[in-house]
Amino acid sequence: MKKGMTGFISALSAVVLFTGALTGCGSSADKAADSSAAPTTSVTAATSTAAASQNGIDTSKEVELQFYMLGNAPRDLEIIQTKVNELARKDLNCTVKFNYTTWSDTNTKYNLLLSSGQPIDLMFTADWMNYNQYAKKGAFKPLDEVVPKAAPDLWKWIPENYWNGCKVEGKIYTIPATWKEYVPGVIVYREDLRKKYGTPEIKDITSLEAYLEAIKKNEPNMIPTEELVADWGIGGPGFTAWGPIFEQTHTSNFGATVPYGLYNDYKNPSQLIDYWGSEEFVNDMKTLRRWQEKGFWSKSALSTKEYPADEFENGKIACVMASNPGKYATTLSKVRTNHPDWEVGYLSAPEVAGYVEPVHPIHNGFAVPKSSENPERAVAFYSKMVLDKTYNYLTEYGIEGKNYKITEDGHYEMIGDTTTNGFAREAMNGWAWRNPEIQLFDKSFDAVLDIFKKYEAGNGIVIGENLFGGFVEDYAPYQAERTALYQVQSQYLVPLMGGFVADVDKGAATFREKAKGAGLEKIQAEFTKQWQAYCKSIGK
Amino acid sequence: MTVKISNKLNRKESDLIYDFKKNKILLLMLAPVVVFFFINSYLPMVGIYYAFTKFDFNGGLFGSPFVGFDNFKFLFQSGTILKITVNTVLYNLAFIVIGNALQVFVAILLSEMSSRIFAKVSQSIMFLPYFVSYVIVGVLVYNLFNYESGFVNTMLQNFNMDPIDAYSTPGLWKFVLVALYIWKMLGYGTVIYLAAILGIGSEYYEAAKIDGANIFQQIRSITIPLLVPTFIMLFLFSLGSIMRGQFDLFYQVIGSNGLLFDATDIIDTFVFRSLKMNFDIGMGTAAGLYQSVFGFIIIITVNWLIKRNHEEYALF
Amino acid sequence: MKVREAKSTILFNILAYIIVGFITLLCLLPFWLIVSGSFTSNQSIILDGYRLFPQEFSLDAYKAIFKIPKGVIDAYSVTIFVTVAGTLSGLLLISMGGYVLQRKDFRSRNKFSFFVYFTTLFQGGLIPWYILLTNFLHLRDKIAVLILPSIMSPFLIILMKNFIKMSVPDEIIESAKIDGANDFRIYYSIVLNLSLPGLATIGLFLGLHYWNDWFMSMLFIDTPSKYSLQFFLYNLLNGAEFLRNLSQGAGVYDSVAIPTETTKLAMAVVAVGPIIFLYPFIQKYFVKGLTIGAVKG
Repeated sequence: MKKGMTGFISALSAVVLFTGALTGCGSSADKAADSSAAPTTSVTAATSTAAASQNGIDTSKEVELQFYMLGNAPRDLEIIQTKVNELARKDLNCTVKFNYTTWSDTNTKYNLLLSSGQPIDLMFTADWMNYNQYAKKGAFKPLDEVVPKAAPDLWKWIPENYWNGCKVEGKIYTIPATWKEYVPGVIVYREDLRKKYGTPEIKDITSLEAYLEAIKKNEPNMIPTEELVADWGIGGPGFTAWGPIFEQTHTSNFGATVPYGLYNDYKNPSQLIDYWGSEEFVNDMKTLRRWQEKGFWSKSALSTKEYPADEFENGKIACVMASNPGKYATTLSKVRTNHPDWEVGYLSAPEVAGYVEPVHPIHNGFAVPKSSENPERAVAFYSKMVLDKTYNYLTEYGIEGKNYKITEDGHYEMIGDTTTNGFAREAMNGWAWRNPEIQLFDKSFDAVLDIFKKYEAGNGIVIGENLFGGFVEDYAPYQAERTALYQVQSQYLVPLMGGFVADVDKGAATFREKAKGAGLEKIQAEFTKQWQAYCKSIGK
Repeated sequence: MTVKISNKLNRKESDLIYDFKKNKILLLMLAPVVVFFFINSYLPMVGIYYAFTKFDFNGGLFGSPFVGFDNFKFLFQSGTILKITVNTVLYNLAFIVIGNALQVFVAILLSEMSSRIFAKVSQSIMFLPYFVSYVIVGVLVYNLFNYESGFVNTMLQNFNMDPIDAYSTPGLWKFVLVALYIWKMLGYGTVIYLAAILGIGSEYYEAAKIDGANIFQQIRSITIPLLVPTFIMLFLFSLGSIMRGQFDLFYQVIGSNGLLFDATDIIDTFVFRSLKMNFDIGMGTAAGLYQSVFGFIIIITVNWLIKRNHEEYALF
Repeated sequence: MKVREAKSTILFNILAYIIVGFITLLCLLPFWLIVSGSFTSNQSIILDGYRLFPQEFSLDAYKAIFKIPKGVIDAYSVTIFVTVAGTLSGLLLISMGGYVLQRKDFRSRNKFSFFVYFTTLFQGGLIPWYILLTNFLHLRDKIAVLILPSIMSPFLIILMKNFIKMSVPDEIIESAKIDGANDFRIYYSIVLNLSLPGLATIGLFLGLHYWNDWFMSMLFIDTPSKYSLQFFLYNLLNGAEFLRNLSQGAGVYDSVAIPTETTKLAMAVVAVGPIIFLYPFIQKYFVKGLTIGAVKG
């Protein structure tokens, strides 16, 4: 007993000592942190002679830029950062610290970084990270004057319509990416099985149904598909993968859908039509009910914990919905490695609707947050990342000869694999500073480029202009109604889309009634007013 | 004795001044606690003001426009606030009451069992669920109840019974969720009661044995009464957060399955769904404030009632 | 007399073994499934579901986690350091606080108890707290941020107060005061010894909290080598979750491979492993009669 006691007491005295040590090291670490957390204090008298002003901006003081990107930092970030800093110190008398938010609770962190006002010089922006709303609330600095002054090359290089697309209430708040990509949903299926059971080629909902039916009948160990639960956001069409596909066959509005159960036709975009109130809506829900009854997906699909792509790649399901062509390419390359005997087919949504839109300029971009102390240097540095091939390749692909090599036909090729190579292609998630003129692609990405080529070759697909991305919705007048509607959608629309409501007519009526109760009419009216004003302002 | 007398003599003096005079060392020992909560908890409370503003980046905390109770409106707009409030309170009551009762029961069994090794091993194993994150719990539950290949339905089919479509049967989940929570926290709570039982002096038991009390009588007349204060303390403590749910449990197990919401939606999941797409500081703070005020009223009332009758059990 | 007592004791033990055995099984089974699943090949988990024994044995999941061992080792070191340091220093502060708050002659004890408890009712929310810790206390990206904000909690203080109240009779404190011991000495040489099971419990809870914490790393740590173990694992998992839930329209495709079902399970095993082996060492403080022995000895 005594022994235990003394042991405990000596442990406690160790604590006392330790607490002292902790506070001690805390304070010394504080000093070090001050310099990294606040670039202003780290400004040192410029020792380098490269202080000559460039592009007409003052670079006499050496500064450290804080750069924030989403996702996880690549393993070899430190090495790349050192290389970039060698260049940047010489060119712009600055260094940069690349920070990553990780993918855990990204939205929360993004919001905290901006709200807390800690100094950040470059911040990733995207439509799917609510660029418009943040810009509207004043999170970023306007760039209309900074860019022409600090980065005249970039200002000229990015086409004017891209700059215009980034305007929120008349001002530019982000530097847009210029690579033209398309991100519609892609239905991925097993072409080998389709041929085996001789169902017609899949080109629309009817032929898809025939295929799924054949799978159900002939492959007892497979489930035809998984009702993918994905969140489409407030006012969006719902949570399920199939619901929106149906809606999109009417709306011809793929990249970003007009919310609140409305849709429009690209030929007359200002006209909004009420989809949830239409006969088509009920019919679509009936189709989904029929599919569910036929057993195309699990009865427990709404709570599924499975990863549909994972299930597809392992042969449990025969059809999966990829949320963009890139994901389809990933699935394709995995299947080719693990199941070379399979054949994978796809049907992308534009092929059904005959219409596609490239992403909006705000899809990927970089903004200078309000808290930045060095907006000019930040923009000048960012311009280097886009336009200067050395910077660009370093931050997109790593070090040539160590991380990657360029093949004879001009493709990117990774050296080693992800275990040995600490910097894969686009490991810094450099979607925003891709430069289409010098961009390198991996061979597996050809599958995506083929889809793009298909759209651009015509084949009855009209390429439209993404209008919705530039629209800044002001939901302040119906904020409470809007969240209430979202609740109603999750409780009543989602089961309907999953085909879990036995009486579809009644279920649809209940949903409409509840949505009305939540204030749908007010939302739709107010939204239509804003939408039409916006269409008018851009001359549509 | 002396303490009691001096207590009576100095009643007029303010308690704090008295302690400053007489209990300097105690105050000093308490200082880290006071400083910690002042900095870590009280300073950030200025943020409650967010609940009444429409946040913008130019204004910040105090410069953004004041909007009164606008941010609270979303809680009431969909008309389900009453239902989810009731759900939240009932689930929490079930968690607290059933959970604690079972923990007391198991702690008593463990403390009186003849084989120490068996007790130790099973106590360790009971701690395992605490480590299983709710993400994994959600996956396991899905594998249990999934209609086509779930364990439950496979068993039922083996006995030629009809499968259950669990994921569209809301009523079932009331029991599943409560059972899961109790399962997960059993080991944790048992330790508290076990430590409390160990704090009971063995002279009580020896005296009881001499009086000829058997083991059941000892438990009834010594162990249980002496665990009551701990139970009341834990109960009171949990009351303050009765409006806050076990978000992870509900979110991971139920997810966005609207079919089950009538029975399984609680305030935390409701607020999460409302705000996740466009996080609004004002609305988030408003929802938190609604939960706080409700919990505050409940705990103040109950504590006051208890203090009137049994001062020694009161929380503060 | 003797026979009756023995009979009831036997009856009690039979009941106890059956009930405890059953509950133990319920707690063990899911964990067993996790362990078994983590040693199964991913394809078999997807096609056959969870089994008591792996259908197709495979170490792939563990290989995936330990592919780059540096990450896991760093995370383990951070978590072990934080857990030990945080638990020991927290235990000191909490036990002092709990001791003071239960002293009957400390008149403002109810006021201070309320001061502590009130923080569980009202919180300022994430943003002001985040601003405080990053912009004013400059704790961002410091190991200290993983320790300091969780060093005590109202629950643990009030629990400690209750334990001390139960296991330290007022008379002992009073007689020690009469003997001329000051308040800290009473705490140091009497109270700590008498409330060992309580201290062990609080220490265990604090340790568990530190061990399981991912939230602080998520918010405040930028350098991957300073991630705590749980966050390191949680982040592997969450990345996949986030990418999966991104709606159509976000042209995001991460170059990082999405962890498989079995990796998730292996992560759970990796995270629990070491601490569960530590538990028996803590258990030695849970021996009946310890308290009384300490008083007499």
